[in-house]
Amino acid sequence: MRRKNHICPFFISLVSLLILGFSVQDIQAQEVKKNKLRINAQYVKISNGESYFDIKASARVEKKNVAVSGIEINVSNTSEGGQIELGKTVTNHNGKTKFILKDFNALKSDTTGIFNIAISFKGNKMYTRAKRSISFRDVNLSAEMVVKDSINYIEARLTDVDENPIADLPLKIELQRLIRNYLLGDEFNMTDENGAIFVPIEEQFPGVEGKLIFEVVLNENDDFGTVKTLVEANIGIPIVDESTFNERTMWSTRDKTPIFLLIFPNILIIGTWGLIMYLIINLFKISKAKT
Amino acid sequence: MKNYDTLIKDLAPRKFTKKGVIWTSFLVIVIIIGAIAYIDQVRQGQIVTNMRDYALWGIYISNFVFFVATSFVGSVIVSFLRLTKNEWRTPLVRIAEIITLASITMAGITIMLDMARPDRLLNLFIHARLQSPITWDVIIIPTFLVISFLLLYFPLLPDLAILKDYFKKSKPGLSKMYGKLSLNWTGTEKQKALQTKSIKIIAILLIPVGLVLQTVDAWLFSTTYRIGWDSTNMGGYFISGAIVAGVGALITVAYVIRRVYKLEKYITEFHFDKLGKLLALACLIYLYFNMNEYLIPSYTPSKGEAIHLNTLFTGSYASLFWLVTVVGLIVPAIAMFFKNGRKPYPMFIIGLIVVIGSWWKRFIIITPTLLHPFLPIEGVPESWRHYFPSLHEWLITIATLAMALLIITLLVRYLPVIPIQRTAEELNLNNNDLNEASS
Repeated sequence: MRRKNHICPFFISLVSLLILGFSVQDIQAQEVKKNKLRINAQYVKISNGESYFDIKASARVEKKNVAVSGIEINVSNTSEGGQIELGKTVTNHNGKTKFILKDFNALKSDTTGIFNIAISFKGNKMYTRAKRSISFRDVNLSAEMVVKDSINYIEARLTDVDENPIADLPLKIELQRLIRNYLLGDEFNMTDENGAIFVPIEEQFPGVEGKLIFEVVLNENDDFGTVKTLVEANIGIPIVDESTFNERTMWSTRDKTPIFLLIFPNILIIGTWGLIMYLIINLFKISKAKT
Repeated sequence: MKNYDTLIKDLAPRKFTKKGVIWTSFLVIVIIIGAIAYIDQVRQGQIVTNMRDYALWGIYISNFVFFVATSFVGSVIVSFLRLTKNEWRTPLVRIAEIITLASITMAGITIMLDMARPDRLLNLFIHARLQSPITWDVIIIPTFLVISFLLLYFPLLPDLAILKDYFKKSKPGLSKMYGKLSLNWTGTEKQKALQTKSIKIIAILLIPVGLVLQTVDAWLFSTTYRIGWDSTNMGGYFISGAIVAGVGALITVAYVIRRVYKLEKYITEFHFDKLGKLLALACLIYLYFNMNEYLIPSYTPSKGEAIHLNTLFTGSYASLFWLVTVVGLIVPAIAMFFKNGRKPYPMFIIGLIVVIGSWWKRFIIITPTLLHPFLPIEGVPESWRHYFPSLHEWLITIATLAMALLIITLLVRYLPVIPIQRTAEELNLNNNDLNEASS
């Protein structure tokens, strides 16, 4: 009995210590420092095409910048009338996401014609909440291919929403290629007083059926964001189609099996199974030939 | 063994002893456990395996290749030895035929176990592309399976008729079954002529079909543009490896049957001596192809191939690679050069080592290559860079091996493991003796 009296308090204190230990651990687990999340966002407009926001989420974890994947980002439009929810998007494994504006005309600007967008993350167990505001004005960028003295030129024009030219802004001309775009002319072609640039295309480029797609880009401008316009022109050297898609090859679908592969294996299969059938018939013959 | 009665008594199937019942029950339990694991795999999907994007073929495929290889024993023992008129084969052919049938049956089943959606099995036939080696495999395996069955069945007919008479009084039910299976065999001239002709056709057919089976199995790998597989050596390498695996399995099974059924008078030391020499030859040929496969490429390897070979020679798979090469191949070949090494018991041990070595050899052929893709493995969980089978995979694989052993056990239980009729003929027991004994 005496022994028991000694054990009980000891046992209770041990259990209490364990519970306390777990509790402290739990509290510590709850108080794990959240990582600070950063959001980067860029407005991109493709003339006569879609407008979207390129969003990237990252955080500083153990002195390293890491992309934050799988988090929900809210996008909203702020104006004098209040805040309009535009939608939500989730970052991919690279911490990036593209939020496409379904209807640009639904956006509300302030009295000066500036659109204010708030991109935010409400926070979770691992990351702090974060917000990024971006503002931009709408702008028109048009471009076309013109021929002068047998030389091809890209003529582009930058105007505001009231068709007033915007001068002294740098535009880039690029040609779409398989891996990345190819820069044509100077790095920056400054728009003149008419908001225009005029860039010769002197080199010859190959393209499928001679079709080339040029991009005229106003890149990451503080006022307008990134604005692009595409120009299609049949001035390329046509690429000869070397596809074997319609031919009978070893890598084609089964309806385009090479003829030799239809003949020889089938001869072997039919020959072998013919012999097997003959052997099975022999079993029947043996069964009948008992006398 | 002067008369026919003794011969039949020695060679007729016998009831399981207590050990036989324990052995069979053990196999059934292992199979049931494997079946439960398989049902769970089908329910949960192949996430229960450790196969991922890179190691997408695991032990199911190495096990499949092992079964295919082992099934080659029928071609070697029955066809090659028959066509080269090696008469010593007689007491071993039935065992070889049984191993062949069990192995190829399990090869077919194992490939289905590797399918994440077994319900789509028919698509392999419905949407078959003749350009694909998978389709060649789908065609050749059922073909070889049917031929293996005929290979076992045709020579059995006279023996089944003998067993029908032998069990007539003691076990009428069994006698009736043997009677039906013997297809009214009475040994007429016409029946004998048909049987002899059929066996000859099967023996000839089995060689090209067996070679095609092994080669197609090799081409499943060598037609892919992958380090370690993209080799013109693969066909011969697989065929020689199959002879080693098949003869190893035959030695092991023959020893056990000889001991359990007390058949020392029929499967003698002479037969083990011959099998030992055959195994030595097979090992040396396989060693030659191994040199072609590993040694020669190591002289002029591409960067990727050098990484792959280093993994095998000195890297993470080195212990297993050298174990299967030295213990599973070189040591058996050397042991077979000594007369004492070709005695039954040492042969059994060596046969067992060869079979186990052959199984792991297939693992070595498949897994390291899958973990060495051309593009570096990036942006995936660390566990995807390695492969070791999960518990599900082990249970299912062990169950397939148990199922193969169960097929062998049951066939050995109900069929004469040594051809009765042929042995009687070789021992010059005349027809009168045969007829008297039968009646």
